Amino acid sequence: MFKNIIRTAMLATALISTSAFAKETVVWWDFLGGGDGVRMKQLISDFNKENADKIEIQATTLEWGVPFYTKVQTSVAVGEAPDMMTYHASRIPLAVKQGLLQQITPDDYKAMGLSQNDYAAATWDAATIDGKQYAVPLDTHPIVLYYNKDLLAKAGLLDDKGLPTGLDGADNFKAALGKAKAAGAKYGIAGVTADGNFMYRTIYSLMCQQGGELYTNGKFLDGDNPAKLAKALATIADWTKSGLQSGYTDYPSTVALFTSGQAAFMINGVWEVPTMTDLKKNGKLFEWGAIELPKLFDKKCTYADSHTFAIPANKGKTMTPEKHAAVLQVISWMAHHSLFWATAGHIPAYKPVVESAEFKAMQPNATYAPVTASLIFDPKTPLAGVAGPIFNVMSTYFVPAQNGELDPNEAVKKIKDELNNLQ
Amino acid sequence: MISKAFKSYWFPLVLIVPFLAIYGLIFIYPTISMFVLSFTDAPLIGSGNFVGLSNYARLFHDPRLLVALWNTAYFVILSVIPGAAVALLIALAVQRLSGRLQAAVMALFFLPFIVPVSVVYLIWDWILNYQFGIGMHWLDALGIPRVPVFKTVTWFMPAVAIITIWWTCGFSLLVFLAGLRAIPAEIYEAAALDNASRWTTFRRITWPLLWPVTALVLTIQLILQLKIFDQVYLFSTGGRPNDTVVMVQYIFQMAFQDDHGGRAAAVAVTLFLIVIVVTLVEFQLLRLAGGAPKK
Repeated sequence: MFKNIIRTAMLATALISTSAFAKETVVWWDFLGGGDGVRMKQLISDFNKENADKIEIQATTLEWGVPFYTKVQTSVAVGEAPDMMTYHASRIPLAVKQGLLQQITPDDYKAMGLSQNDYAAATWDAATIDGKQYAVPLDTHPIVLYYNKDLLAKAGLLDDKGLPTGLDGADNFKAALGKAKAAGAKYGIAGVTADGNFMYRTIYSLMCQQGGELYTNGKFLDGDNPAKLAKALATIADWTKSGLQSGYTDYPSTVALFTSGQAAFMINGVWEVPTMTDLKKNGKLFEWGAIELPKLFDKKCTYADSHTFAIPANKGKTMTPEKHAAVLQVISWMAHHSLFWATAGHIPAYKPVVESAEFKAMQPNATYAPVTASLIFDPKTPLAGVAGPIFNVMSTYFVPAQNGELDPNEAVKKIKDELNNLQ
Repeated sequence: MISKAFKSYWFPLVLIVPFLAIYGLIFIYPTISMFVLSFTDAPLIGSGNFVGLSNYARLFHDPRLLVALWNTAYFVILSVIPGAAVALLIALAVQRLSGRLQAAVMALFFLPFIVPVSVVYLIWDWILNYQFGIGMHWLDALGIPRVPVFKTVTWFMPAVAIITIWWTCGFSLLVFLAGLRAIPAEIYEAAALDNASRWTTFRRITWPLLWPVTALVLTIQLILQLKIFDQVYLFSTGGRPNDTVVMVQYIFQMAFQDDHGGRAAAVAVTLFLIVIVVTLVEFQLLRLAGGAPKK
């Protein structure tokens, strides 16, 4: 009797271990907690179903921003990081300096069936440090201009195709905000004026539209760049001062002002597209759309970041070739299935998907997809990147400047001093 | 001789070893490491090169350290004594109640203390949010322009101090109540027989006899508020973090956002020394204020 139990137990153990050997698990961390997180979970479950007897992704979603990136650092240091993770392209310079990421070699790219030609130059470059790849881009997520079609129609700001018109040029844009307000909105535009980190994306875009750059020749705000930053700040401060933009508004309030019809425009990331799509589906939203940021100054330019996949360089641990192959297979699968990821608003990084007929029929993505021709990413320094060192400096001076508490020129002077002091 | 001493010491030793081991591992060892780290240029994770006193030298020219020091001091001034005073007033009032009513009222005042800081943040953001806060509608109704409470330097610290008092005074209240109950009823009876007024009773009996408890509450509050972090961090998200920064938050920024482990450790050592000095000074002051030591 006792012998029988032992025999059964041994048999069971043998069975479990053989199946474990045959099936590779891939531990995955991401920071996708919003509407795009739901879509990513769908992709992961599709992958697991398709590869039921070979690979299983075990995914965990962690808190976006500083908590995520701190946990990655500490876990890599003790060899407890996951097999793969999502990573912002803007954080890659810092990650490489900290030795957190494994290089993605040309052989890896061959194994995934992907190559440089499959990506837009700016996106590819964002994952490159000293000619080496450290991540595989999944998407590009720029900021865009959301608009309330009903209000714009009333204000006479739509062309015959139903798209907003007459927004180019700083003066025209301000006039358009005024018309939209006159058409019954409380504000022309909802701006995240209480959060400088967020507004950095808009301000940096407007700076770039004047040909300005944040970091050149190893210095922050060198040459005539301070004047360009001040002009961008002053433009936005002027909207608030004229009552066209909501003052001291935090992120959730900004989205709420727009979705409740109190603001005609909103500049926000494409990741809010699922929010609009879902509200509209439930009949709780007006007619809406999203377009590329208008050209307020000399040229078109929009800030973007990119979600990428990266493989942590766990200390004191080497990945088995089988596990490595499985991780590459997951990344490759995600690239080839990124059409569904586009429903989260993002523009897939994998070009064949963007060029497909299905993507070209997808709205509003197809409307703003041309933005990829004029994108600017974060400056390539370990000090930049989402939730990175420059964030606090920007926020501290952007908030008072946007709300008329601090003169833009004064703000820029302080920003320049503090940024250069960070080095 | 030695063996005799050993015989009488080995048993207590065995009993305190687990405590000593854990205390050494999670307190003494990290503290020493912090001092060592402050003399290196280490990043957040990993070791660095010895750089002598340069981290400290840099602190002298660091304008943000001054901002952090001032904000921390300002917060202590706004929260320690006012917080203790509010708790004492409530304790005196609650003490006049009796039975179930007293227990119920005490529970109501204690309730905020059990709420985690993230919930405190959400509740107050819900009230004071510039665009959608319910408190702002009251201002509108009264015809007062809205105030961006957590986004301007003027209002930030006072608001966070008031919220902290609301949140934590329940604990001080309990300590004060215990102190009040420890004062013998006979003394009050004797005072009543002498026709002492309520104010005289408080000034001559309650206040001096309660003094050791008051000193304890003030010391606990002082140490706690010098280490303020959570509320300030949460309320300043996205606002003006560098203008409203406090000491512990500065350490956090430097270590976790700017990736400077060594420099962060130097700030931490500075705060460590400040807490020790301020606490010692406060203790001496309280001792003097409570009358000469009765020997």
